[in-house]
Amino acid sequence: MTDPQVAILMLTAFIFVIMLGFPICFTLVGMGMGFGYYYYFNAATFGTPGHGIFDNQIFDLLVNRTYSVISNDILTAVPMFLFMGYILERANIIDRLFFSLMAAARHLPAAMAVAALATCAIFSTATGIIGAVVTLMGLLAFPSMLKANYDTSFAAGVICAGGCLGILIPPSIMLLVYSVSASVSPVQLYAGAILPGFMLAGLYMLYVIGRATINPALAPKVNAEEAAEILGSNVIIALLTSFFPLAILILFVLGAILLGWATPTEAAATGCIGSLALAYGYKALTWDRLREAVYLCARTSAMVCWLFVGSWTFSSVFSLLGGHSVVEHFVLGMNLDPVAFLILAQVIIFLLGWPLEWSEIIIIFVPIFLPMLPHFGVDPLFFGILVALNLQTSFLTPPMAMAAYYLKGVSPPHVQLVEIFRGVMPYLVMVFIAMTILYNFPEIALYLPKIVYG
Amino acid sequence: MRDFLFSIDRISAWMGKAFGWCIMIGAVGSTWEVISTKMFRAPTPWAYDLSYMMYGCLFMMAGAYALSRDAHVRGDVFYRLLKPKSQARIELTLYFLFFFPGILALMYAGTDYAWESWTLRERSVMSIAWFPIFHFKFIIPIAAFFVFLQGIAQVIRCVICMKEGAWPAHLHDVEELETTLVHAREDEQETADDLGVKTGSAD
Repeated sequence: MTDPQVAILMLTAFIFVIMLGFPICFTLVGMGMGFGYYYYFNAATFGTPGHGIFDNQIFDLLVNRTYSVISNDILTAVPMFLFMGYILERANIIDRLFFSLMAAARHLPAAMAVAALATCAIFSTATGIIGAVVTLMGLLAFPSMLKANYDTSFAAGVICAGGCLGILIPPSIMLLVYSVSASVSPVQLYAGAILPGFMLAGLYMLYVIGRATINPALAPKVNAEEAAEILGSNVIIALLTSFFPLAILILFVLGAILLGWATPTEAAATGCIGSLALAYGYKALTWDRLREAVYLCARTSAMVCWLFVGSWTFSSVFSLLGGHSVVEHFVLGMNLDPVAFLILAQVIIFLLGWPLEWSEIIIIFVPIFLPMLPHFGVDPLFFGILVALNLQTSFLTPPMAMAAYYLKGVSPPHVQLVEIFRGVMPYLVMVFIAMTILYNFPEIALYLPKIVYG
Repeated sequence: MRDFLFSIDRISAWMGKAFGWCIMIGAVGSTWEVISTKMFRAPTPWAYDLSYMMYGCLFMMAGAYALSRDAHVRGDVFYRLLKPKSQARIELTLYFLFFFPGILALMYAGTDYAWESWTLRERSVMSIAWFPIFHFKFIIPIAAFFVFLQGIAQVIRCVICMKEGAWPAHLHDVEELETTLVHAREDEQETADDLGVKTGSAD
């Protein structure tokens, strides 16, 4: 077998083993090790002094790749952002945020849904963790909406879709991970994602208000004074104590990164300290919660970063065997024009989103497309933002629609999973509309990075 | 066998949790760097090295902990449809096929790598303070060793599952908020159902 054939075998075997459900990072390390050993093995010199079983260059490659993950100066920000998220989700902040936004939005149609959407968007942006937002809102806003006789699917869709916005709107952990995978500057990527993020949130908002205006039965008007009464005080004061501190924290972290005051790691570190202060201010900083946040942060960081250890070893060996160029030749041989290529890539990523999670897609599969981007004149930054938009859907489409499952897990028993899926479908359409708009007007993503970087 | 399994679980959890606190050190250090650079115009020579060392120790040493809590991602679309016994059989095979060769190689190569660095008394070229990194590099073989140890525990898990037809329980530990909330809701539901049965029988 020639090396490229072995590379194809390697990729096929890997996809097969993923299906078996073994922890992926160890599959990657093991396979990288095995196939790498084969690549470096030289039968002619084997057995002569200095060429024993343990004198294979794969060992150097393995440890070098591992060390490059350890010393990567962008990945250092990942645990920081995770920690900030874990602290904020335990800071008793979400109910204040929701009720004050509801009071503020009380004159709009579907006020509760608008408030829920805004709460989800802000909270998920601050925490970057999907599951927590959806379950917290599923316990808080979902019953309130059902009590106000909102349509079940309509209410469910708002929470699931809103909770996923955090992976697109910066400072998002997913974009940070993409920036490492694709060697794009995280600062430029954040700058690029701001407008598309707001565009998608705006589309969602328009959809909610539009549907409620056309069909008011979906979202009956709540007694406006009721919401204000719950707060027991002025709406402005309620917003000042709930919405603004969180918004200022996000803007400070993001601003520090974009204006070049601090590296993403440093900005995220100040975000950690800021979120601790916020939790303390809301009297939510207990020893138990701090411990929980620290332990969960350790676990999740290990998950993301070990995946990098495996993936970098695997992909180095894959490209040594010539795998990347085989894939490249194959795709180039299809004679696609740039539009067709982009659509193909996005369809594949969309389909991968069904069985896989975002971390696996970004760290393992997206890098396969990256070397082909220059051939088609696609900016990796632009591609990354399309991917981030696209991955919204991976949380919303069955069978692995995590957002829908989390919501189902905390909702009253009479709510059917099918109803939740039905509510989510329109947002998938919104995502595709947003991707189409972005494709036709790439300036939406590229304008801000140009300003920031001249 | 279970006791042995749980003692390895405890070691991994303790290690991961202890090194988890690195995040606080890193956060405080980097925040201090921002303050001292922006406000006092006096960047610290150590903050950069501190931040990546804390990050490196944190995630490497939490690897075994994540494995013990089943926190490493897996593509489980088909996997979760299988019976526990078949899951255990497949996993056991894959542990020997991929996990142990990979992790043992990392231990072996990491020791060599760190040892070489140690003999050279290597210092970081990226560092302003010419920071020594030769002891830091030992994190690779040490972390790999603990992951290897946890791997043995996972093999025991598979064996128990193959015998008994069900996965052995995990020790209690912190869970993601969504998991906690969903479980709380399920318990609530069960209590409600129990009450329903009771009132039903009373009728």
